[in-house]
Amino acid sequence: MTEILRLSVPMTVWIAAFSAVYGLQGLLCAGAFGAVEPGTQRGLLILAGAVAVAVQVALLMALRAPRFASPSRFVQRVSVILAVVALISTVWTLLPVVASSVCL
Amino acid sequence: MTALRLHRKLDPIWASDPGFRGWFTTVNNNDIGKIFLMTATAFFVIGGILAMLIRAQLATPESAFMGPAVYNQVFTMHGTIMMFLFAIPFFEALTVYLLPGMLGTRDLAFPRLSSYGFWCYFIGSSTMVVALVLGVAPQGGWFMYPPLSSTIGSPGIPADIWLLGISFVEVSAISAAVEVVVTVLRYRAAGMSLDKMPIFAWYMLVVAVMILTAFPPMILGSLLLELERAFGMPFFQVDSGGDALLWQHLFWLFGHPEVYIIFLPAAGAVSTILPVMARTTLLGYGWVVAAAVSLAVLSFGLWVHHMYTTGIPHMGLAFFSAASTLVAVPVGVQIFGWIGTLWKGRPQMHLPMLWIMGFFVTFVIGGLTGVMIAVVPFDWQVHDTHFIVAHLHYVLVGGFVFPMIAAIYYWLPVFSGRKRFFRMGETAFWLAVPGFHVTFLAVHWAGLLGQRRRTDSYDPGQGWEVINLIASIGSFVMAIGFALVIVDVAINALIASRGRRNPWGAGTLEWATALPSPSYNIASIPVVDSRYPMHTDPDLPNRIARGEGFLGEPIRNRRETLAVSTARGDPLQVVVFPQNSVVPFVMAVVTSVIFIAPIFKLYWLMFVAAFGVMVLSMRWVWVLGSRHDEGALDAGRGVSLPSASEVADPPGWWGSLFLLLADAVLFGSALFGYAFLWTVAPNWPPPAYLQPGVAGPALALGGAALALAGPRLAERRLRGGDTPYAGLVLGAAGLGALMAACVMVMRALPDPSAHAYDATVWVLSGYVLFHAGLAAIMAGFVMARGRAGFLSPRRFGELRVVRLWADYAVLTGLIALAAIYLPGLGT
Repeated sequence: MTEILRLSVPMTVWIAAFSAVYGLQGLLCAGAFGAVEPGTQRGLLILAGAVAVAVQVALLMALRAPRFASPSRFVQRVSVILAVVALISTVWTLLPVVASSVCL
Repeated sequence: MTALRLHRKLDPIWASDPGFRGWFTTVNNNDIGKIFLMTATAFFVIGGILAMLIRAQLATPESAFMGPAVYNQVFTMHGTIMMFLFAIPFFEALTVYLLPGMLGTRDLAFPRLSSYGFWCYFIGSSTMVVALVLGVAPQGGWFMYPPLSSTIGSPGIPADIWLLGISFVEVSAISAAVEVVVTVLRYRAAGMSLDKMPIFAWYMLVVAVMILTAFPPMILGSLLLELERAFGMPFFQVDSGGDALLWQHLFWLFGHPEVYIIFLPAAGAVSTILPVMARTTLLGYGWVVAAAVSLAVLSFGLWVHHMYTTGIPHMGLAFFSAASTLVAVPVGVQIFGWIGTLWKGRPQMHLPMLWIMGFFVTFVIGGLTGVMIAVVPFDWQVHDTHFIVAHLHYVLVGGFVFPMIAAIYYWLPVFSGRKRFFRMGETAFWLAVPGFHVTFLAVHWAGLLGQRRRTDSYDPGQGWEVINLIASIGSFVMAIGFALVIVDVAINALIASRGRRNPWGAGTLEWATALPSPSYNIASIPVVDSRYPMHTDPDLPNRIARGEGFLGEPIRNRRETLAVSTARGDPLQVVVFPQNSVVPFVMAVVTSVIFIAPIFKLYWLMFVAAFGVMVLSMRWVWVLGSRHDEGALDAGRGVSLPSASEVADPPGWWGSLFLLLADAVLFGSALFGYAFLWTVAPNWPPPAYLQPGVAGPALALGGAALALAGPRLAERRLRGGDTPYAGLVLGAAGLGALMAACVMVMRALPDPSAHAYDATVWVLSGYVLFHAGLAAIMAGFVMARGRAGFLSPRRFGELRVVRLWADYAVLTGLIALAAIYLPGLGT
């Protein structure tokens, strides 16, 4: 099961981060935290996006590290590919936090 | 031993009951796979006839062929049948039939579950078609948006039939998914490590996990809408704190992954067939696996692209637009992998290849229009027009039906043992594929000119007349093509001459046995050392047939197969399969009452049926296991292995684990719904939050501690040679306390129809009540098993299953009760 987890973690972390940032944006726009300035809203979202990217970078490095290496070369290779995909996905799908209006 | 002698020994052990009775008692994957395939094909025919009625209606303006009430039923049932009653069951059927052979094992992990799943599907689907014949079919479209599907928009029983019928059919999908995951992970040939698995098995593993995680939001949504319709619990009614958009979120959390759930099995078939047709191996196996996994997960981040016109802020739209364009990348990786495979091979244009070419052209066009509608401004223009109808048909027919036809022709010798003689398939291709493009290119065009979907007629003079007429003519040509495929497959399967083993020269194990597959699938479990064992070891089929693999000598005269380690495929356990049984069929019939009785407001009958299912479940489990320790069993090849009933992780533990994965997603979806209503629904906060007090939380925490400790104590005592009963009683008492805390919550909010908050609290409490009750019943049942001699210091696996369920009940119970109590603490 460890090998299956190794393969499934990177993209699962992506969907969790993506949903969390979308949820945060929903909460901010619904006024769940009271009246927050638009600049602060964007700052919080950028922070959340940056944390998500940092987690993916850490995951990629961990999967490449000899300490966490898989005994199976196949699993090792595919898990690193998936970690790269997850990192690119995180950057691309969370890019709107810097480019788009928050609540309009 | 000679192959024939071994066959004569194995066949009586594995064969189904003879005659009519055998239809209802068989648990064999070959039998169930074939019946499943035929049933799904029958629903394809029914859905196709409805499609022809739609095109007949739209062929001319102001058509009087059908009135709006009938038309609404027809298009709703066309979509419902094709998505739920044909597409998913069809690939499940193919998988049920093919997977054991491909993996080199003797059956799926839970043979009786295959039977139960099929009968649930058959009864649920038939009920919906009967409703159509009686004129009480649902009319709200296949995604049943409230408030149109609420009691005001859809009075009477049609919407209830949809909600309960589809939920019932999904029992089948979840059953099949649990089976497939456990089978792929644990039931393979020896030595078949993850990198040596057939690519189809990888795809089906991914798809099965998707089913377990995508279907629960939809099941939850259906249950909530049914609770609203039946008892007025206002989850989707704005004036009482609900929000109709919640349904759209829950539906599309299922609905978008659903598209890939349908596409990926077809992609798995293409990845299997295409290299064989090109006389080579799949290019970029690892990349294709990574692409399938990426595509599966990315598909869960797209659901809002069906909701671009609901007023979501720009940033939200941009998130989902970005994800929607991104999903084209892993699809592209697979397509380039297939093109590269063709490039490096020597392709032959056999009939399966012809259909794959049809798939390529059609699916790529459908994918490109998909990227178009991923772009928000374009989607705003074409939303709810025939452009969308055309796009989804390009993706689903091109991406599923064409490759599935290729798959049927490719594996026809495995199903029938015959080689194709009649040559209608080529004619059928040249009718169906061009007919399809004539139809749906025209439908794209009508959509771009503004024709709305789901309208039963249109006025003349809008420039749509000729386009619709062309589309309708094309659709009838396509239908003739599909009908010819069915006729061609049927007569070739029934009366063509017998063929030889492995006619295509394939490399995977389903071709290693006599065709059609015998009842035991494979005479002995082989040891494989490559991804294409039939290529690297041409003598393998003979050695398998002579019983030179594992379990090649049926010395214990019972149904046995091998469980292996997940990653490396090392032999670990000998699994004993159950005998033929009528219990799955009877349980499916009784389960159907749970879903059908509420349609007629017979709630007492629903509870009687639920009790019946519980009793039958106990009967189901009672025959498993052993009343004495067997020790190490001879598995052949000089290897001794423990029986699966004498290990810490028996098959039931693995099945429970993945069932609980689906359950956890359902629970998470309920929490999401709670949070969504809290933050987005207009009429929040509710008049008052529940005040938790001290007794309820104390009861919950104390109960949780006992429920966690009890099963652990029971296991420790049993393994130490003592009786486990004290621990089980302790655990059951803890679960009872957790249930009491939930009852206190419900008593504090006596009217669940007052506000969406009250309704949501009832659902969360009810969820915990159900799971804690279930775990308590399991604890009691295992006590009875212990008294009957099924437990011993070696046979403690059942206690681990109980512990898993109790832990889950505690975890979800504490989360749910915290979500219920916390708002009250702050007021």
